[in-house]
Amino acid sequence: MQLVIRDLSKTYPNGTQAVKDVSLDVPQGMFGLLGPNGAGKSTLMRILATLQDADSGSARLGDIDVLKQKDEVRRTLGYLPQSFGFHPAVRAERLLEHFAVLKGIAEAGVRREVVESLLRQVNLWEVRKQKVGTFSGGMRQRLGVAVALLGDPKLIIVDEPTAGLDPAERVRFLNLLGEIGEASAVILSTHIVEDVEELCSRMAIIDHGEILLETEPSVAVEALRGRIWRRTVGRSELAAVEAAFNVISTRLLAGRTVVHVHAGSSPGKEFEPVEPDLKDVYFSVMAGHHGKRVVAA
Amino acid sequence: MSARSGKLREVFRYEVAHRLRAPSTWIFAAFLGLLGFGLTGADVEGPVNVNAPSQLAEVQAVLGIFGMMITAALIADAALRDLDAGMDPLLFSSPVSKAEYLGGRFTAALAVNILLTCLVPIGSLLFTLLNHEPTHYGPVRLAAFAQPFLILVVPNTILVASILFAITIRVRQAIPVYLGAIAIFVAYLTAANLRDMWGGSTLVSYLDPFGMSALQDVIRYWTPVEQNANLVGLPVMLLWNRVGALAIAAVVLAVLHRAFRFAHVEARAGGRRDRIERIVAQVNVEPAGPVAVPRVAGTFDMGTRWLQFIAVTRKAISELLTSRTFLLVLVGHVLLTGLFGWEAGDSVFDTSTWPTTVLVIERLLDTPLTPIAYLLAAVYAGELVWKDRDVGVAEIADAVPVAEGTLLAGRFVALVSTLTLIRMAIIVGGVITQAALGYYHFEIGVYLRILLGMDLAELAIIAAMAMLIHVVVNQKYLANILVLVACVAPVWLREMGFVRHRMLLYGTDPGWTWSAMNGLGSFLAPFVWFKLYWAAWALVLLVLSVLLMVRGREDGLKRRLRGARARLTGPVARAAATAALLVAGLGGFVFYNTNILNTYRTIAEMGRTQAEYEIRYKVLEDVPQPVLIATDLRVEILPEVPRIDITGGYHLVNNSGGAIERIHVYVDPATTVRTIAFDQSASLVKADEEVGFRTHALGRPLQPGDSLRMRFDLSVASRGFSNDRIRADVVRNGTKIDRRVLPFIGYQPVFELTDARSREHFGLAPQPPMPGPDDAKAKQSRDLVLNEDLVQVDAILGTSLDQTALTPGALRRSWTENGRRYFHYVTERPTEFGLSIYSAAYEVVEDRWKDVALRIYHHPGHTYALDRTLKSMKASLAYFSEQFGPYPDPLLQLVEVPRYGGYGVAHPHTMSFTEDFFLSRVRDGEVDLPFYGISHEVGHQWWGGMVGGGRVRGGEFLTESLSNYSAIMATEVTYGHDAGKRVYDFQMGHYLQGRAFQSHEVAALDVEGQPYIAYRKGAIAMYTLKEFIGAARVNGALRRFADRFRDKGAPYPTSRDLFAELQAVTPDSPHSVLTDWFETVTLWDVRTATASMEPTGDGQYRVTLEVVARKTRADSIGNEVEAPMDDLVDIGVFAGDSAGTPLHLERHRIHGGAQTIVITVPTEPARAGIDPYNRLIDRERSDNTVKIAGPRSAP
Repeated sequence: MQLVIRDLSKTYPNGTQAVKDVSLDVPQGMFGLLGPNGAGKSTLMRILATLQDADSGSARLGDIDVLKQKDEVRRTLGYLPQSFGFHPAVRAERLLEHFAVLKGIAEAGVRREVVESLLRQVNLWEVRKQKVGTFSGGMRQRLGVAVALLGDPKLIIVDEPTAGLDPAERVRFLNLLGEIGEASAVILSTHIVEDVEELCSRMAIIDHGEILLETEPSVAVEALRGRIWRRTVGRSELAAVEAAFNVISTRLLAGRTVVHVHAGSSPGKEFEPVEPDLKDVYFSVMAGHHGKRVVAA
Repeated sequence: MSARSGKLREVFRYEVAHRLRAPSTWIFAAFLGLLGFGLTGADVEGPVNVNAPSQLAEVQAVLGIFGMMITAALIADAALRDLDAGMDPLLFSSPVSKAEYLGGRFTAALAVNILLTCLVPIGSLLFTLLNHEPTHYGPVRLAAFAQPFLILVVPNTILVASILFAITIRVRQAIPVYLGAIAIFVAYLTAANLRDMWGGSTLVSYLDPFGMSALQDVIRYWTPVEQNANLVGLPVMLLWNRVGALAIAAVVLAVLHRAFRFAHVEARAGGRRDRIERIVAQVNVEPAGPVAVPRVAGTFDMGTRWLQFIAVTRKAISELLTSRTFLLVLVGHVLLTGLFGWEAGDSVFDTSTWPTTVLVIERLLDTPLTPIAYLLAAVYAGELVWKDRDVGVAEIADAVPVAEGTLLAGRFVALVSTLTLIRMAIIVGGVITQAALGYYHFEIGVYLRILLGMDLAELAIIAAMAMLIHVVVNQKYLANILVLVACVAPVWLREMGFVRHRMLLYGTDPGWTWSAMNGLGSFLAPFVWFKLYWAAWALVLLVLSVLLMVRGREDGLKRRLRGARARLTGPVARAAATAALLVAGLGGFVFYNTNILNTYRTIAEMGRTQAEYEIRYKVLEDVPQPVLIATDLRVEILPEVPRIDITGGYHLVNNSGGAIERIHVYVDPATTVRTIAFDQSASLVKADEEVGFRTHALGRPLQPGDSLRMRFDLSVASRGFSNDRIRADVVRNGTKIDRRVLPFIGYQPVFELTDARSREHFGLAPQPPMPGPDDAKAKQSRDLVLNEDLVQVDAILGTSLDQTALTPGALRRSWTENGRRYFHYVTERPTEFGLSIYSAAYEVVEDRWKDVALRIYHHPGHTYALDRTLKSMKASLAYFSEQFGPYPDPLLQLVEVPRYGGYGVAHPHTMSFTEDFFLSRVRDGEVDLPFYGISHEVGHQWWGGMVGGGRVRGGEFLTESLSNYSAIMATEVTYGHDAGKRVYDFQMGHYLQGRAFQSHEVAALDVEGQPYIAYRKGAIAMYTLKEFIGAARVNGALRRFADRFRDKGAPYPTSRDLFAELQAVTPDSPHSVLTDWFETVTLWDVRTATASMEPTGDGQYRVTLEVVARKTRADSIGNEVEAPMDDLVDIGVFAGDSAGTPLHLERHRIHGGAQTIVITVPTEPARAGIDPYNRLIDRERSDNTVKIAGPRSAP
């Protein structure tokens, strides 16, 4: 089942336009939505998750009109929001079972089977009898995934899922996500480029409510081959370099600054070519050298 | 130092700014202003001005209690906002001291609260200014508005705010704030209850933290004139009480300051924080291999909907029940039930009764348990609506495929279930209380039907409204207040007289009374139909909640309305349509009953029928009419319907000097008249159905001395039900009808409107005062009905097989016919025609006194008071026969009637008492008030029965005062002087209270419709006279009076005739008693300034008393003028307190002003004073005796 979004827009009552004519095609598999904080990702996710209304545009999941047929969407939706909590006094197994009923798994035996296997899949089976209030952040996140996976959803929306996880938890979480990504359309909304790089077969970059680039990660990276150059500079030189070249990113390495620059050809002998990665794609797009955004001269 | 105050100022400013920005603050402001405006005119009695300082003080004090809710909201917000927003780590780790933080927050919330509460006196002032007119308002004095605010409201607010603030900071949750407010409210009421129990104890007035008792003590006995003129001021007791309240507040805040710590707040919303568990949980084991999860999509059919509904309900119920405070609520209800229910039945006319289940329930429903239920409904509805959002699971839960209807239905059911559990706690508490009081007949069925049936139905309807308000008003604290407003609004609208029809007052019904004899009886139908109607509305509200429920992030009103339109499909639309149809259908049926089958009168039109009666027909008042001298009736009582059919006739005689051409007949419009005819040709000239007045023109004028027979065929029954209480005289078991259902001959002034304001409204002149004792014409008739005096009655009563029918008269015969029972009663001689017919399934107890048969007809099982009743009947008959003359009938009977109205009524050889009387009991140390009550009614056989007064002023002295006096004497003779004195004290207390509420007090002999004078003042006047001149003389005078007028016709005696007899037996020196107590309204003010003693040297003690005395006479509105005093007053000296045997008790001649009295006593005294037993009418009763100061002998 494919999710087709056309010209979706939403403006908040205080005037902020959170989503500006967004059009996307999301096939089965992992789709990464990449963008900085405040780009409009969460708003877009909530619109798709039937929690907010769009002002104009359309979104269709197969035959279902996502904006107007909220009930139908919910029947085949799994949503893991950016921040959430659970009733702390409820036990994990009980909570999952509760949501299983709400998601329409009526038969008690089948339900028990689904609950057990999901708990095992997210590795919470050992602690299923504990109250959710005692869970750490990562455990809560995994329980949230289990809830999202109930009912065999065809559309799974995951909003900034790895933000609060320690490195080990993050790895486990991404593995889990990878497993489920095969039979449904999964939208992973994040500002962490590595998440998209590791998991997604398609991606889009969004900022200020607009889609700046929609492509496959490998294709985007390939398009940048030969255009990314690296130079190490001292702190005092940085300002001059930034003024003279299209610097797309800077980082510190052992006390000195490493800059990446976007240029069609070598900008100088201080620079060396670099194999581009998705981070370079992201920074290039954000800087306006790639994709929709055009930098004023 | 300046840095500190700077920080405190900053915290203060920040908080105040936040508060003033919030729209809820302004809504609270409007609410308080409206309260002040709206309630100022509410509870005004007669001559007391609307803006009398005492009235304003009471209004503000009462509103202060309700203002607690707003305090709760403001304080809760101030205390919890940081925690809720998660800002506490930032704040608590910055260099702010406890005093700055807590102080700033608290004073800011308090300042805003007090600012808002200012609006109550301002609203009050506005109301006064807008409505000012000289009759009901006095001069506008700002002090009268400001004083109560500064003295009562501000300290109360400080006190409540400090307690709630401390609780909230400590517990860190919002619900305890509301529970705290409830607890404070209950504590206040407990203090009020205890105060009543301990008879105005000054200790309680000091302790009552809200100053209400202290205020009451100050103004309790003020006459209307004093109430209008005097500012409440700051008398000593009130001052200390206020200081005490502020001291408590200071202590609470100090304790909070010590105990508070700027610490991290762990998962406050409830689970146990088990660190060990957490660490264990973090040890994660990698799964053995990929797990195969079965891909099961959900199915969505009716079965799933049902399961979802069950799941939502279970979760909602467990959320409410597992909160820590719920157990507290349950236990609290059991305790509160015990507290409030302890006095069930205690105030049924001041006799204590067994705490039957009905009495207990009625008492409980009348206490704050009802508004507490509303508050809990509001708070729990809010919890349910907000729970997911509060916990953070809302975004997940809202994206789940559950219909809004299912969510709302589940939460509503959970709310009602919770309220049910609380009601059950009340039942448990009620049963425990009954057992603790020694009563074991628990009648669980009655508990269930009333508390879990009727009361719960009402609560469920309120709960639906609470849910809607919480859904629509997306702010928890504000919504709670609005729910309370919505609950109070119908009561307020009705009390203020704006809206009367119960179809417009949400959730209301015409009211009901549960009788042991008759169960819910005819009250069931109106209750059920009104509740069904309101349930249909509740369904509408629930549908609206579904449509407007916030789901996801869209909570703007426009988007919600758009969403509502989208949701109006499928099952929701069907439910909406069903609800609308139900409202229309049920509403139509109810309206048909209240407005078409019965007459509905708006507030303005109430009394219209009576007014029209007078406007149209008063001209006929003096037209000579024939007099009723005998009647024969056949009364068919049909309890199953219930209905009464009456056929019968009147024997009328023309006793006027001239011929009578027209006969006017008045029948109460509620009686259905089938025919009225005469035994000679007569034409119906006019039939005014609306008022019930008919005029017949006789074919041949009726000549003087001739007689005429009138026949009639009537029926008495209810038609459907009305907006007011259904009629309760014709019922399934316990029928009780009287004269009013039968026709009256001629215009009857007794049915005119009596309320002065109503008369003014309809354009009627004020009623003239009753004629004086010299009015010869008025003395021609006794009682209040014209054209009949003493009537012979011949009545055949038919009722169902299981019931007994009674009416005054000798039972000639009883038989069974056509499956019904019949009784034939004939009066042995003409009697007052009260008619009074009773029918119920009675059990009879029989006894004798000399040759008088005694019978008590009672409801089966009501056997608690029968022995006492028989004892009183016998003792009273014995005493009264001996003192006042023989009892003329061979029978004296007592009938139990349902508790729908009245207490005890006397008819010829028949007395009726309400069923509550039959449950009375006398505990150790209590005076036998039931004995006294029966004695009073037996007394009426003489006073009002054998001897009846003319229709003049002071007529009630001859009936009520004399019966009361006789009853006090019978009690004294049977139980001793002490018991008599206690009954006397009881009368005195009621008299003094009655004085404060009524205006136009007249002398006892001139009493005109004032129960506190007729029943109380008159009796204590007689008793006082007896204390002076002895029972033999007083009773002798009564005997002579009775002998003169017993069974004589017109002219009938007046109170002056009795007074002449009393004067004849009173020697010179106590003569002033007659003037002071009978002929004028006299008040005394006596007190003992000092008392000292010294030994005389020969083993005795000389006691020196300085007393001050003053005597005033009052005119009709309470203006007092000092009168010369030269009275005999008791002076007493006691070895212990004044309850013991006195060492010296004698009457001394006391004049006005200060004087010294010296007395010698044989043993060492402790207390002394003037009028130690409070025999004088003195409003300040506690200053009569004092402790004696002086040298004491060595121990």
